[in-house]
Amino acid sequence: MFIFRHYKSLVLIAILFVIAIIMLSYNTRHRRADSQTDGFFRKLVLEAAAPFQKLMHISSTSISDSWEKYVYLVGVVEENKKLEKTVGELEAELLRYKEGHLEAQRLAKILAFKESLPYDFIAARVIAKEQAALSKIVIIDKGSFDGLRIGMPVVSSAGLVGRLIDVSWNVAKVLLIIDENSNVDVMLQRTRAQGIFSGMGYRGGVLKYITKNQDIAEGDEVISSGMGGVFPKGLMIGRVSFVEKLDTELFLRIRVAPYVDFSKLEEVLVLVAEEKRRK
Amino acid sequence: MAYYLLLPVLSILVVALQTTIADIIFSGRLVIEISLIAVIYAGFRLDLFKGSILAFVFGFVFDCLVSSVIGLFTLIYLIIFVASYAVSLITDTQKLRLVALWGFVFALVEEALVILFYNLILRFDAMASIPFVFLPQAMVIGLFTPVFFYLMRRLEVYIYGKPLHRLERGGDSRISAEI
Repeated sequence: MFIFRHYKSLVLIAILFVIAIIMLSYNTRHRRADSQTDGFFRKLVLEAAAPFQKLMHISSTSISDSWEKYVYLVGVVEENKKLEKTVGELEAELLRYKEGHLEAQRLAKILAFKESLPYDFIAARVIAKEQAALSKIVIIDKGSFDGLRIGMPVVSSAGLVGRLIDVSWNVAKVLLIIDENSNVDVMLQRTRAQGIFSGMGYRGGVLKYITKNQDIAEGDEVISSGMGGVFPKGLMIGRVSFVEKLDTELFLRIRVAPYVDFSKLEEVLVLVAEEKRRK
Repeated sequence: MAYYLLLPVLSILVVALQTTIADIIFSGRLVIEISLIAVIYAGFRLDLFKGSILAFVFGFVFDCLVSSVIGLFTLIYLIIFVASYAVSLITDTQKLRLVALWGFVFALVEEALVILFYNLILRFDAMASIPFVFLPQAMVIGLFTPVFFYLMRRLEVYIYGKPLHRLERGGDSRISAEI
């Protein structure tokens, strides 16, 4: 009875299920980093969401900034009751300059980093952070019109950030290296032992497939190995924060603390072409 | 018609908003998946046609903006919509305690499906994330589901003058039209 009464809706649900399964199986099969297949509707959603995300990012930043400034200013006022008004005004002005100064410092750092590497980069600003249970993704304000392509590595002055997994016309999605779905071929700078860095969300990452006979110590630096063809060799990833040798396991259990502070990511560089100076 | 035109815009707003809220409250560690709660709400309150389209659109937008595998959440949201619709046929969805319980259960179902997909298809062991990410997130969703339902009921009363109820359930005593 129910089926006869709702047959139109049930047909629609069946069609939606089929579309979802086709989408999922297609995208699972074509998940390679260098894949250039990206759908029109996906781009459309990314483009449509960008203004909202920018707006919300600005509002959330200004709410937390105002709160921090408020707490800071209350402290100043308590310390300098006699000079309340003047100090308050000066502090507000100072904060504005400080913000500008910090931004200039960040940009100078990024510029110096950009100059130090033999690659061509495109600088981009982070406009949103999208996070689900196992996904750690940021959205940047550059897209295919600026020359970005799926699979390009993304770095910051502190080290490797991730890679592009979706590129729309004016925005792009970056899969962070701490995403649980992200794997990077890496090596330890001191011993040259090679392994795979896998993301663990906000807990950083783990270094896999390092055999127990390798000499690994806390504090060892982890860099990209250049294997796999996605990331160039030598990009800083993080530092070994924990090593455990278990008799029952074949490999060492190693945790890595990434150099990049993903919660404070504001500007990034997208590596668009390798070895610019050789040309 | 306005419902179908507004749905994509609304879904983008909701997905963008939930990340902003997560960033402010939990520093990005947990996400209050308002989109999932909206799908559960659709299963409990809307008819099959409107609800399934809502689940599909919310899932697709969530996939586009958040997920690294397109189609995963579209499928999961459809499954959860159908499951919540089935649950609404046998449960009193007016009781907020039950709504909270089902919110928690469906959040666990979503996470179980994600783990299953990662394990079977991507060959990635996501079990380690259960105590750190999945359980706290399911609890957060369980807590927020009654709040969302309460706010939606207020909105329904504001717009229609009484809480919404499905046409196909007319005469069914389990779904009350009274406040």
